[in-house]
Amino acid sequence: MEQEERRSQGKTDKVLLVIVFLLVITGLVILYSTSAYNGKTKFGDSFYYLKKQLFATSLGLAGMYAVAKTDYHMWEKLAVPAYIGAVLLCVAVMLVGDEYNGSKRWLSLGPFSFQPSEYAKIALIIFLSWIVTKNVKKIGKLGTLLKIMLWVLPVVGLVGASNLSTAVIILGIAVILIFAASPKYAQFVWMAVLGCGFMGIFLALESYRLERIAIWQNPEKYEKGYQTLQGLYAIGSGGLFGKGLGSSIQKLGFVPEAQNDMIFSIICEELGLVGASFIVILFLLLIWRFFVISTHAKDLFGALIAAGAMAHMMIQVILNIAVVTNTIPNTGITLPFISYGGTSVVFLLVEMGLVFSVASW
Amino acid sequence: MKNKTYNKRKICIVFALAVIMIVGLIGRLCYLMIFEAEYYQKKAEALHERERDIKAARGEIVDRNGKVLATNRTVCTVSVIHSQIKEPEKVIKLLSDTLGMEEKEVRKRVEKVSSMERVKTNVDKETGDKIREMELEGVKVDEDFKRYYPYEELASKVLGFTGGDNQGIIGLEVKYEDYLKGENGKILATTDARGIELPDIAEDRIEPRAGNTLRISLDYNIQEYAQQMAQKVMEEKQADKVAILLMNPQNGEILAMVNYPEFNLNEPFELNTGGDVQMDDEKKQELLNQMWRNGCINDTYEPGSVFKIITASASLEEGVVETDDQFFCPGYKIVEDRRIRCHKAGGHGSETFVQGVQNSCNPVFMEVGQRLGSERFCDYFEQFGLMEKTGVDLPGEAGTIMHRREDIGEVELATMSFGQSFQVTPIQMAATVSSLINGGKRITPHFGMEVKSAETGKTIKEFPYKKEERIVSEETCETMQKILESVVSEGSGKNGYIEGYKIGGKTATSQTLPRSANKYISSFLGFAPADDPQVLGMCIIYNPQGIYYGGTIAAPVMRQIFDAVLPYLGIEKTGNGRK
Repeated sequence: MEQEERRSQGKTDKVLLVIVFLLVITGLVILYSTSAYNGKTKFGDSFYYLKKQLFATSLGLAGMYAVAKTDYHMWEKLAVPAYIGAVLLCVAVMLVGDEYNGSKRWLSLGPFSFQPSEYAKIALIIFLSWIVTKNVKKIGKLGTLLKIMLWVLPVVGLVGASNLSTAVIILGIAVILIFAASPKYAQFVWMAVLGCGFMGIFLALESYRLERIAIWQNPEKYEKGYQTLQGLYAIGSGGLFGKGLGSSIQKLGFVPEAQNDMIFSIICEELGLVGASFIVILFLLLIWRFFVISTHAKDLFGALIAAGAMAHMMIQVILNIAVVTNTIPNTGITLPFISYGGTSVVFLLVEMGLVFSVASW
Repeated sequence: MKNKTYNKRKICIVFALAVIMIVGLIGRLCYLMIFEAEYYQKKAEALHERERDIKAARGEIVDRNGKVLATNRTVCTVSVIHSQIKEPEKVIKLLSDTLGMEEKEVRKRVEKVSSMERVKTNVDKETGDKIREMELEGVKVDEDFKRYYPYEELASKVLGFTGGDNQGIIGLEVKYEDYLKGENGKILATTDARGIELPDIAEDRIEPRAGNTLRISLDYNIQEYAQQMAQKVMEEKQADKVAILLMNPQNGEILAMVNYPEFNLNEPFELNTGGDVQMDDEKKQELLNQMWRNGCINDTYEPGSVFKIITASASLEEGVVETDDQFFCPGYKIVEDRRIRCHKAGGHGSETFVQGVQNSCNPVFMEVGQRLGSERFCDYFEQFGLMEKTGVDLPGEAGTIMHRREDIGEVELATMSFGQSFQVTPIQMAATVSSLINGGKRITPHFGMEVKSAETGKTIKEFPYKKEERIVSEETCETMQKILESVVSEGSGKNGYIEGYKIGGKTATSQTLPRSANKYISSFLGFAPADDPQVLGMCIIYNPQGIYYGGTIAAPVMRQIFDAVLPYLGIEKTGNGRK
């Protein structure tokens, strides 16, 4: 019976499906509301950003469907090529990437541009799930741990060269996956201590990073605290029920590039505490669903894929909201499904497909 | 590989951590959006709102009968917004035609790449409306208030004018600024980060509150007539300037204050000397300051023989002289080692005190001054209020320039007794004499009577001017009234006489410093009716050419004014003038 179930496709996780669609649709509505002004002033078309995002979303939905219909065990075989692909793409972006806002993050393919770091996240989830599953018996040993981390570091380094925040996300996913697979606890505590130590050294190395902390503590005193402060103005302006969808004033150029990292502040302004909490709870439900799927997965590989997606989602959502609310120093992390970004939404949906696949096979 | 229990537990731990953190973030959101909301909201609003002032209409200044002397006129500013102009050629043509400007000038403004360019300011409302009706794209007509003085030169130095921000610069406009200015309104518009106003969001408007109406004691008709008289005599005598002052000696209300030449209040920055002589800014500013000076208040002069009224009052009050005391004038008086001459070369011979006043005889007053002594003289000087400012409600009143008490020797005392060697302002002379002949109480000369609401016309505030303490006895006052009436009816002031009216007065002719320049100030001070003074007038002619005697040139001016003003004020002829 069990064998049979594993081999044949079961039912789609309807709860997850509803949550994902809710997020995608809400995301598009909010994106339009937020980006209309910037699109109009920069490109003379208030639908400029929405159109691009819609295109990416439909591409992503197609990808999600295809991946959901595919037995996720197929990815065991493709884990290594996916990993190599990620490394190559990251090298390519360093050599021939396009610069935007001072960061080399994009690869141009004709009319489309593509952000390899977004791809790297999903590739790493598959690769790590595979390699951890393969080494699960020795996972408690420090040597195995280091060996796995050795695989992760090249990608972290390559991505981190241009996009530190994404590198931190990838590292976070890796740590969570190993933690989930390992029966031990103590070494992770040490890892956390070590990580904090490295973080301190890393911050002290460059004065601009320490400056960020100073700005975080007192954004009103620094010119560079502008973005943070404008985000706070937007959040504070929202109050309990917000100004109503479309009525944000902070998005009118006050919050720079409001459709990107700071989009959550505009949600707060337009939809208030109630609306913002609804979005956060939607994300929490999504993470809960990943958790349920992960714990109900028939094998470790599937469990780790779902856990990886969960790790990815929680790190990005938590960091983004923490940054926007000035709970932690500023770092550029987008809000999944809602922030503008074509590559991001395509691979997020593909990642959802993976989780659907885990849930149903 | 199996998904083992410990794997599930660990994933559970990760999930629990996520829940804790997310709940923590919701908590943070609650804090920001409930407790800090007001703080950030205010900051955000301050950032979004652009404030534009709506100018408040400045209060009017009206004369005692309600005639408007200072008001506001709506003027327009025509500007062009470069980015919104669709048909530049049409705009250039129509604007240059309507505004009467050179096409070249208009073209320069229209074609200039700037956010907004002023084409012409102070365009009258009619023209502004016409341009607005053309509905040219990119052309903006803004309305504004401009202070307007319908009678241009009338009482220019009294009323004063306003500057670019509609604030008073000189005169009553400064003194009563707080009542006149009103309160500007505000338009609070919400803008985007580029400062562009958002059309969908209703703007907050705080309506401006118009300034209050100031009613002053000046009488338009009297002022106008006095000004004409001043102009006439100035031209006839080719004088430097002429001041005429009329007031009610009973309560200090000033009916007219002319400082000829006046200037056009609607063009206060253009010199009234005419012609556009090239000069640097500093020089021009100096000349403008001169032009704006109110001589009656800002400048002092040696009062000369008019001051004898004060010497006489002090002496009578102190009892050092009686009206029928006999004096002898040989044409001079020796004081210490100096021989101080009377204006009549041969002397007046034997005369009573009253005749001495009628003749304006200097030796008589030197004698009387000596009897009084410098100490008592100075005491009276102070008692009469001459050492203090009059408190007139105009800015920049000059103080009296006087010897120090301990420096007054016989010579100084002698010259002071007939009004020389010290200086006072004309307003001080008028106020002091008013107080001596009105029954003996010091009055405060003033213009401001009351403040009325511009909308309802109701009185908001009346200015109280207390009639101050007695400075001279009623008896002395009455005696002075009689003596001064006789000066006009029989003495040196006879040119001020009008058949049927009892007019009191005193003439003066004083040489200005330096004496070698041979410049004179001729003046006459008169009041009527002499036994119950209702109006007191003073005419001062600065540096007249030819005949310069006050009795000859200044008294007739006052006579003409009284001739018209007394009936106008309803003061009836009593018939028994000349004895």
